[in-house]
Amino acid sequence: MQTIRGRLTAWYSVALALTLAAFAAVLYLDRRSASYQDLDRSIQSEASLTAGMLAESYRARGVLVRPDSAGHAVLIPDLSALLEAVPEFLVITARDGSLLFASSDARALTFQKVEQLRELASAPISGRASGTVQLGADGPTIRYAVHYVSDAGPQFGAILAGANVRSAEVGPAQLLSTFALILPLGLMAALLMGTWIANRALTAVDQIITEVREITDGRSLHRRLAVPVVKDELGRLVQTLNQMLTRLERNFAALRRFTADASHELKTPLTVLRAGVERAITTPGLAQETLVTLEETLQEIKRMAELVDALLMLARADEGIAPLHREPVDLRSIVTEVQETGELLAEEAGVTMEVATPAEPVIVSVDASRIRQLILNLVTNAVKYTPVGGSVRMQLGPANGRVALSVADTGIGIAPGDLPHIFDRFWRADSARTRTGERPGAGLGLAICKWIAEAHGGQIDVVSRPGRGTTFTVVLPSAQR
Amino acid sequence: MKILVVEDDKTVGQYVKRGLTEAGFHADLVGDGAEGLRLAAGGHYDILVLDLRLPALSGFDVLRTLRDRGDGMPVLVLTAQDAVDFKVQALKMGADDYVTKPFSLEELLARVEALGRRPKAIAPPVLHVADLTLDTGSREVRRGAKPIELTPKEYAVLEYLMRHHGRVMPRTLITEYAWDYHFDPGTNIVDVVITRLRKKIDHGHEPKLIHTVRGVGYVVKA
Repeated sequence: MQTIRGRLTAWYSVALALTLAAFAAVLYLDRRSASYQDLDRSIQSEASLTAGMLAESYRARGVLVRPDSAGHAVLIPDLSALLEAVPEFLVITARDGSLLFASSDARALTFQKVEQLRELASAPISGRASGTVQLGADGPTIRYAVHYVSDAGPQFGAILAGANVRSAEVGPAQLLSTFALILPLGLMAALLMGTWIANRALTAVDQIITEVREITDGRSLHRRLAVPVVKDELGRLVQTLNQMLTRLERNFAALRRFTADASHELKTPLTVLRAGVERAITTPGLAQETLVTLEETLQEIKRMAELVDALLMLARADEGIAPLHREPVDLRSIVTEVQETGELLAEEAGVTMEVATPAEPVIVSVDASRIRQLILNLVTNAVKYTPVGGSVRMQLGPANGRVALSVADTGIGIAPGDLPHIFDRFWRADSARTRTGERPGAGLGLAICKWIAEAHGGQIDVVSRPGRGTTFTVVLPSAQR
Repeated sequence: MKILVVEDDKTVGQYVKRGLTEAGFHADLVGDGAEGLRLAAGGHYDILVLDLRLPALSGFDVLRTLRDRGDGMPVLVLTAQDAVDFKVQALKMGADDYVTKPFSLEELLARVEALGRRPKAIAPPVLHVADLTLDTGSREVRRGAKPIELTPKEYAVLEYLMRHHGRVMPRTLITEYAWDYHFDPGTNIVDVVITRLRKKIDHGHEPKLIHTVRGVGYVVKA
């Protein structure tokens, strides 16, 4: 499950199910043991009641046993009629182990089972005994109690009272089936309740997420989250987030101030330099060497200013405060604009330049000046690293619902080991020597290209084979939405 | 035309003031925002050249106060920041135009002139050098009676040189004018354009109008 909501509900339900199950188990076992105790108590009292009755009758009447028609000793009829009232199993044995009486339930048993009971009752014991026994292999399991009869005449041995344990199992079993019915219902209710509670708790979190995203996505860092009245965990979370936003805002403001200060401090002297050089260069009658020096100085001033801009732009881009001024543009117009410059550069380098654009407009929502800078950078690089006789091809077209612009050259290529680094700042391949031997740039061009592509929600990729050429491909999101 | 320059860096301020004075404007220089605001509000000046970074009262504050008072005097902003949002912010606050440091004095003058004559909107001029004409309105170029087709960059370079005919224009300044600020001035692209222009303008014509000053730049003169 991907949401806290789901996990919370699941854990909650599992916990509740376990609690319910444990509760049912304890209740069942308790109830069962109580049933058995009741059963034991009732057979014990049956046995002692019978013993008491026998002793009482013996005192009143003396002989309680007479021989039956077959000559076996049995209980006198009126006494056995009385004992028929005792439920379930009642067996009375003579001192020699023979059966004096068996209740109707006992008489209904097979001979072996009755023998089993008789043997239990005639075990050579004195006092009392009790236990559980299964009669035969298929018979009922019974609890029994044996009382030795000592005060009802010399004929008597022992009394066995027994009861089927089924009667003790019925109650707990019913309880169990009731639980089996209630448990799923309870779980379902718990699941619903759990979802509801989690929803209630987490709707607030969802709202916080949306708000924070709005604040940090746009340029509205001055905004703060509404602090809930209740100072619970969410309240503290909101407060913490607000403190974090304050720090973020302060840091961004500091960086803005820094870039503004740095721009000013670095460019004001450049302005002075430039004004001086420009004034000097327009003075009539200057020697040729002086003019050349001044022109070179002017060039360096411009490079320097460009470097300051590039560095500060990347610094701002790192903090996400270098905004784009997007508007819908036909990319073909930017490509065509760059094309002339590309052709001029190519002509100077002895390289051919090809441009392929589609017939229909390629509308994208971009910062046109940044995209022009990006394309111009790629084309300038391509021409710079392509030897005389090579070619540079610029191609624009759709790519999987997006827009792809590629600049391919047949130049010196990039060594595979260098490929991962070419978008790094200030990176320059040791082997990269330009055709004209002109001074290389600061190594920020491709870093800026990468930022521009990514800031537009696009990407820039490179494929290169040393000695064969390099292809840069920029993919931008299409404007159609 | 009277121009007030508010710039805290004395050297930059002096250059701007001298440049404006030499171009025929009356220019005064002050170094802080409060003084600048006081003078600007006096109504004695036609144009305000305002540095955005000033101690105490910043250029933004001066601009905002002026506009809040309903003062519509043209304001040209000097900014060190290339960042587009900074310029957009300045324009939103009511600046009429801006130049980015390090600016060329010529660019500054061009913009001041544009601001000064904005209400009159005079027709764009036609430039002449010998029998070469360039109409900055229709962008038509002729050598004698013969119309010449130019690409956008060729046109930009030629226009720049003709505006300053007789003066040697450094390659760096030509590149800056015809290309984006972000274009590397180290390439020889201007030379390629000049070669093409020569073919179209000087080939088969006398006198030759485009001249090379080796290692420096080019000059258009008869």
